[in-house]
Amino acid sequence: MIWRFGLFDSTFAPLATTHWALLVALVFPLLLGVLGALFPPKRAFPVALASLPVLASGVMLLSAFDQSGLLSWQWEIAGLILSLRLNGLSVLLLLTTQCIGVAAALYTPGYLRLSETGPLARWLWPLMGVVLSALSLIWLATDLLTLYIALELMGLAAVGMLMLSGKAPALLAGMRYLLLALVGSLTYLLGIALILGHWGRLDLQGLAKVIEPGPVAWFAAALIGAGLALKAALFPLHAWLTPVHENAWTPVSALHAGLVIKASLFMLLQLWSILLPDTFYAPRVIAWLGLLAIVWGGLLAWRTDSLKTLVASSTVAQLGYLMVAFPLLLGPDIAPLPRALAWEGFWLQLVGHAFAKAAMFMAAGNLILATGEHTLKGLAGTSRRLPLSLLVFGIASITLMGLPPSSGFTAKWMLLQAMIITQQWWAVAALLTGTLLTAAYVFRMFRYSFDETAPRHRYQPLAPGMDLIALTLALIAFALGLLAHFPLELMHGGSP
Amino acid sequence: MIASFDAIEVLLALCLTGSAFVCLFDRHLIRACCFFVVFAVSMVLAWWQLGAPWLAAAELLLGVMLTSPCFFYALGHLSPGASAPLKRDQFSEPWSRVAMRVVLALVWFVMVGAAIRFVIADMVYSPAEHPLLLAGVLIAATALAAFALHRHLFRRLLAFNLLGSGVFILLSGVAGSSAAAQALISVGLLVAWLGSMLGALLIRQLMHLEGVEALGRDGEPKESTT
Repeated sequence: MIWRFGLFDSTFAPLATTHWALLVALVFPLLLGVLGALFPPKRAFPVALASLPVLASGVMLLSAFDQSGLLSWQWEIAGLILSLRLNGLSVLLLLTTQCIGVAAALYTPGYLRLSETGPLARWLWPLMGVVLSALSLIWLATDLLTLYIALELMGLAAVGMLMLSGKAPALLAGMRYLLLALVGSLTYLLGIALILGHWGRLDLQGLAKVIEPGPVAWFAAALIGAGLALKAALFPLHAWLTPVHENAWTPVSALHAGLVIKASLFMLLQLWSILLPDTFYAPRVIAWLGLLAIVWGGLLAWRTDSLKTLVASSTVAQLGYLMVAFPLLLGPDIAPLPRALAWEGFWLQLVGHAFAKAAMFMAAGNLILATGEHTLKGLAGTSRRLPLSLLVFGIASITLMGLPPSSGFTAKWMLLQAMIITQQWWAVAALLTGTLLTAAYVFRMFRYSFDETAPRHRYQPLAPGMDLIALTLALIAFALGLLAHFPLELMHGGSP
Repeated sequence: MIASFDAIEVLLALCLTGSAFVCLFDRHLIRACCFFVVFAVSMVLAWWQLGAPWLAAAELLLGVMLTSPCFFYALGHLSPGASAPLKRDQFSEPWSRVAMRVVLALVWFVMVGAAIRFVIADMVYSPAEHPLLLAGVLIAATALAAFALHRHLFRRLLAFNLLGSGVFILLSGVAGSSAAAQALISVGLLVAWLGSMLGALLIRQLMHLEGVEALGRDGEPKESTT
């Protein structure tokens, strides 16, 4: 498991251009965000121009990885060792982050112009920049101090973004999220304290060599797991998620549900694969909770009346798929083939869900903005007037349901294959139940939208491109199933 | 010589624990805030005593001089024209909930204590030699209990800060004053300050929009009957 996260020595040193690409990828989102606060862009065109160097840096890091395999950086500052690594997985997640981040940034000017957002709108830009920079750092960092700094930066900026709408329910939900996230990070910090006290180091590569199973590793894993599960909204700790999304702005929801909660999950899997290699019970517990998450999230989404609650509850259920795969990734006595299949399926599901969920939130935001209604019943008649927004919603739901040939299908196929090889029938049942429930709530939403008997509303026209951006994200999620060899090759690459 | 050092540490530990208790459970909010300042000052002394002058300076700057005013600001004591400053909070919870939270806190206390015991194996034989560590476990457990028990948002913010301080004491207790530990604690202090500032701003804004009652509901929407 450890080598899959790129925690081994690299063969080649990075080139000078790669250093620059790394710097741009980490710092530019932040700088552009500050620039956006000083001169808030009114159109999508300057945003597109400004995001070009960020995307270029991602592509350069991709080609650098293609040429020389795993790359790593290390600095020593005042007795502290900070280290980064670039392997196939981090390239894939970095590119995902940049694509979704740029899409959210392109979507923002139109959204801010059309909805009454108040005086705080210009602060969205720097907070978005901090979140994107911190996310990029999380995918790359390999020591616990850098990970802690990045996690905190991301968490605080995310809380700030979610509360910008300034309405009382948003503030209450945001305050609750702030307190829970802060307590979650203290729990995480206590876990790190145990690791530092017992093994005396913070770099993951060194820790992977010295950590041996025992009470300290179990306690540390429990504390870190609890803290990160709270931040990732894993099943029993998910209650803060829905109210927060209910009141947040659309691009903020897209970034948060697509990327921010995934970062905590990524850290959880990475740290547990070091602390708890080949344990039986801990991944099983996560998987059983995942089973409950699939059912509970699906039921919540099925019974709700609000469109945003539907999309947010579906996130809880979709995270359940990832949790169900934990025993295959961390459990003992798993043959190499099912483990490789589960590993690829896990990350393909995560990336596909990030794109699909971002697209879905944008489509839902477009529908809400155009109709002025937050409920499912308010969607009546939209099939004729807003076909494009509904199409985007549909394509995104194909990925979430896992119908062929979307990335959701390919990912679930791999996970199913791994589960059948290892004969985990209850996990198979969980995956199939989840698909049925997803279909149930998606078709319930479409039934309302095809209702033609409703009285006519006045529809607010959308800004040009708002639907197109969402459509692009949904199509990427769809196409990742057909072109799955690209992400899968990235994840194969860099093995020693 | 050693005995005198121990006496200072024991005194500091008692001071920390006592002020933390008052801060967490005093119904009078301004007094609770004043005790938070006392707590932060004793933290500065504790870092000095533990041989971490850099952390003492960071605590003095971030804890005493930046975080404490946030609380007074949230209570409405720093802006002259502010309306209806908060004085007290109500506490009317059913007994089942209280009992449940106390059990939860006890479990947490035992778990943290056991984890520390495994890291510092010799602590079992001489618990009195680590008074600050004991105080850290106690403060962390009590603060988490208070965080789970209270619904008032301001109390939860205070409880979070004390939980943070407890965790920092534990961190320095198990990891010593190495560069890595000091860096982690400094980042933690910075985060605690930013979080408290954000929380204080939010509490003021909420009071402005919804009135004082909004703070007691823990993020739940207003009941339809009222």
